[in-house]
Amino acid sequence: MKSRAKYYFLMPGVIWVLLFTLFPLVYSLYLSMTDFRMGRDPSFIGLQNYAEILGLDGGGGDTKALETAGFTLFIVLGSTALTLFLGTFMAWIFNHDLPFLREMRAVITMPLFAAPVAVGFLGVVIFNETNGPINNIFQGLGMGRVNWFIEPWPARFAIMITDVWQWAPFVFIVVLAAMQGIPDDLYESARLDTKSNWVLFRKITLPMIAPALGTVFLLRLVETIKILDIPTTLTRGGPGSVTQSYAFYIREVGLRGSFQLGDASALSYLVLIVAIIISSIYFWRMRARYE
Amino acid sequence: MSTVAKMSNPSSQTMVAEAGKKRPFRWGRAVLLILALFWTFIAIAPFLFALTTSFKTQLDSIDGTVIPWLQYQPTTLNWQQEFGSGGAETFKTLRSSALISLGATLLATFLGTLAGYGLARFKYGIGNANLVSWFLSQRFLPPIATVIPFVLLFRDLKLLDTLHGMIMVNTTFTLPFAVLIMRDYFADFPSELRDAALVDGASEFVTFWRVALPLATPALVASAIICFAFSWNEYLFASILTNRDWKPYPMMVAGTDSVRGIMFNFVSTRMIIAVALPVLLSLLVQRYIVRGLTFGAVKG
Repeated sequence: MKSRAKYYFLMPGVIWVLLFTLFPLVYSLYLSMTDFRMGRDPSFIGLQNYAEILGLDGGGGDTKALETAGFTLFIVLGSTALTLFLGTFMAWIFNHDLPFLREMRAVITMPLFAAPVAVGFLGVVIFNETNGPINNIFQGLGMGRVNWFIEPWPARFAIMITDVWQWAPFVFIVVLAAMQGIPDDLYESARLDTKSNWVLFRKITLPMIAPALGTVFLLRLVETIKILDIPTTLTRGGPGSVTQSYAFYIREVGLRGSFQLGDASALSYLVLIVAIIISSIYFWRMRARYE
Repeated sequence: MSTVAKMSNPSSQTMVAEAGKKRPFRWGRAVLLILALFWTFIAIAPFLFALTTSFKTQLDSIDGTVIPWLQYQPTTLNWQQEFGSGGAETFKTLRSSALISLGATLLATFLGTLAGYGLARFKYGIGNANLVSWFLSQRFLPPIATVIPFVLLFRDLKLLDTLHGMIMVNTTFTLPFAVLIMRDYFADFPSELRDAALVDGASEFVTFWRVALPLATPALVASAIICFAFSWNEYLFASILTNRDWKPYPMMVAGTDSVRGIMFNFVSTRMIIAVALPVLLSLLVQRYIVRGLTFGAVKG
């Protein structure tokens, strides 16, 4: 009886994941090996879609895929680095005895719970070129106005800044929790040797928060690879297509225009491989914790 | 809450003592406080700016002013428009959002609580860590990679633009949160309670139902709120799998400018409506955010 009961707890969830996570993935793998378009019967073409995207068929490859992957990589690296740096720095500040700490922390985590679609529009209002607050501040500082939505690099940075604004709080609360878990006597004995805050941070805080940093680093990576909602509403992928992310491009290929579902599935599988590699590293690190 | 209090109280006392002894100047702390306040401001300022813009006329909305009455005459016109004359669509999409999110929350929390309890209490032959990664995998996959099979599947099963279709999708996305939050909670649970109940002759299910579940109410609430917020904010699948009948509110937000060009006052109004509920709910689950969003990997 007891031995069977434990499976009853687990089964509904396992079946759910099987149906709604695993099955779509397998289906998608099959689609990626067809020339399926909406309204046309698919025929199996093996790895041809992949060959075309990667340029292994003698063609030039899918340059648009390469461009959007490049932009996505720019956002992933830039945003992950900035959120980790800012989040850790702010956590260090909040790890002191400050008044209203809990209240400020609650306010700072608010962006995490805002819909990314809405956050994109928030960016539209904030980055507004003629009289938005950011350009007004820039002008006040004598730096002139920035054409956020007309010029490619400002547009790319607008996306990155918006993403950092939303996600730095995530790094912040996680790292702060890790810092608060460091026993005080570690600091006390170290203070006998040094008075430098920087040395204390490097010799004690940093090694102690390293596991948490590793975890948020991997979570930020997989999360940012998905980026789609913010470019959708903030820049609509423009100017031209410079702020189209890879996910944005997959949607353009598979779910707009000629609905090339086969090609889009192949593009999806390429990003899936990246996501699977990152998540494997994550699970490998986390095994003991989840056992 | 208790963890934070436990952690910060002793440390803060030593810090104060330390600062008093070793650093006669207090301005170091003042600088830290200013930086902390500055970031708090950065986090909330865009929301406040949108809020103030939502009370402007279209003409005022591009003039860069921020203080009502002093700098501009506030108006509730946008809000009247969103909920009054043009309110039918607003109420309909908000209702869809609420029903989809509630349905997904209930289902995900139900499945997640069972699985979480199982993972915390029993050892499975396949390996509990493997099972956790099985549940977590959804959260690591780019949603764009599964949207196409969902479109085809939903088309064949006649689930496009239906309530239960959207509930299924959002349950799938939020299940990892529910499983991991509940597993984490039950794992910290004193196992004596369960053993005592089992010795008394109760079955595993009765023990779960009568002993473990009532004590897990805080985690249930946290899990439900996090699932609700993420369902409420979901846009990609909604934009592809719904059309007229079950379009949730984020689609209204995304569609704002295609209808009338970008009107900052109107965009801001919808923005505030879209973010208000999950942001306010998040204030209730502060102590679970760290564990919840890192899937129990970091104790908060």
